[in-house]
Amino acid sequence: MRLDWLEGPGSAGGPLHRLDARVKLAAVVGFVLAVVLVPMGSWRPLGIAGMVLAGLVGLSGVAPSLLLRRIAALMPVVVVLAAVIAPTHPKASALGAWAVGGTIVAKNALTIGAILLFARVTCFRSVLGALSWFRVPPALVATLHLMYRYLFVLSDQLGRMARARRSRSFRRSRWAEWPLGAGLIAALMLRSFERGERVHAAMLARGWDGTVRSLDGPDRPETLPPT
Amino acid sequence: MTEPLPADHPPAAVLVRGLTYRYPDGREALRGVDLEIRPGETVALVGPNGAGKSTLLLHLNGLLPGRGASGSAPGIGHGHDLPGIGKGRKREAEPSVWIDGMPVDDRHGPEIRRRVGLLFQDPDDQMFSPTVIEDVAFGPLNLGRRKAEAKRIALECLERVDLADASDRPPHHLSFGERKRACLAGVLACEPTVLVLDEPTANLDPRSRRKFSALIRSLPATKLIATHDLEFVLEQCDRVALLDAGRVVADGDPETILGNEALMEAHGLELPLSMRLGRAIS
Repeated sequence: MRLDWLEGPGSAGGPLHRLDARVKLAAVVGFVLAVVLVPMGSWRPLGIAGMVLAGLVGLSGVAPSLLLRRIAALMPVVVVLAAVIAPTHPKASALGAWAVGGTIVAKNALTIGAILLFARVTCFRSVLGALSWFRVPPALVATLHLMYRYLFVLSDQLGRMARARRSRSFRRSRWAEWPLGAGLIAALMLRSFERGERVHAAMLARGWDGTVRSLDGPDRPETLPPT
Repeated sequence: MTEPLPADHPPAAVLVRGLTYRYPDGREALRGVDLEIRPGETVALVGPNGAGKSTLLLHLNGLLPGRGASGSAPGIGHGHDLPGIGKGRKREAEPSVWIDGMPVDDRHGPEIRRRVGLLFQDPDDQMFSPTVIEDVAFGPLNLGRRKAEAKRIALECLERVDLADASDRPPHHLSFGERKRACLAGVLACEPTVLVLDEPTANLDPRSRRKFSALIRSLPATKLIATHDLEFVLEQCDRVALLDAGRVVADGDPETILGNEALMEAHGLELPLSMRLGRAIS
């Protein structure tokens, strides 16, 4: 499994890639909130939001087809939710279930599109840096740091396990291999659990006392260990 | 076995007396281990798989016991309970491990961890930070260093292991050998007086092994090295302790221990290649 895309294209991309991650994070959160707050059936603001997003996609240099494919992959879930919510929505009697359902789908498509664009033009480490800057709880940022670090280790491990399985698998149908795949994921989960224990031991061995400390930002007296 | 130290001699860098440990499933891992390492000595810990080498190493900076039920019943474990590791166990029995004369127990936990640098076998277990420099600075930050100072120490340690250029790289962009050296830099950044290395040369290609071996040799700290690399032992170590079935069954100079074919075979090992060749030629 290739995870290179998580590291982002760096300064090689367009102007949105080079923009400070904190600005992009604030902008995407603002955009999502603005879209969520648009009243049901208000098509004009949604249209403007759509044009802003399209302009940003054009500016970023990200292929629109790529974003559309990823938005489309998530749309079935959104459509099902809209179909369930729309008929019983308080505004359905005034606007009609179709208008309510359409607004839900449009809002979701715009917010998902904005988030996907943000993920495409910002490397994960910059996102974590921005989260720290916005004073997101350090434990959450540290958990995301660990997740990011071990995604690469676990994806390598999964790749090796899958190769080992294929080398001893003689079934021709992809469907017949699904139960084996499920076993593979279960084995990976157990190994990850064991690795988690070893990582914790390695952290304790270097003085970890449960407080998250990082080289980023200024010194904070409350994070210093007790003397 | 090690000669007893005279009364006016400085305390042993590592002293283990009657250490027992049982895994949570009830299997006995260590059955009364005795070991003494003097300051500045380099001692190899050899033995077959499952002999208890890694378990012994984890006791030296208090990572064991303390997990699960180990030590919770009389006669099991040696009864430490370090903060953040053990759960719900208040009993603190007599210590069985001392570092520089200081017992490895609850009260001395943080100081023991500063003094004992533990290098794990798999660098991916030890490198958990998003960049190399963050990882190397992890120990100094936990020891209470200011960020600027922690960064300076981390850069110095990376320089020592010849990885200064890799400071901003994520660990998964380093080769296995580079990750091993980065881990060693992370250990050195805590300025330990005792280095405990678990299979330092395992899975390294010959060039990386040579480089890593030279690096270890250059470090002045007291060293305890668990390894299957017997040539490395002959090159580096002043003494060898042979551990099998949770006991130290032999302790002495490397040529004597590793050259004893009957002893080595009895404990699942073999003569180092250089010794076999030397004997074949002579």
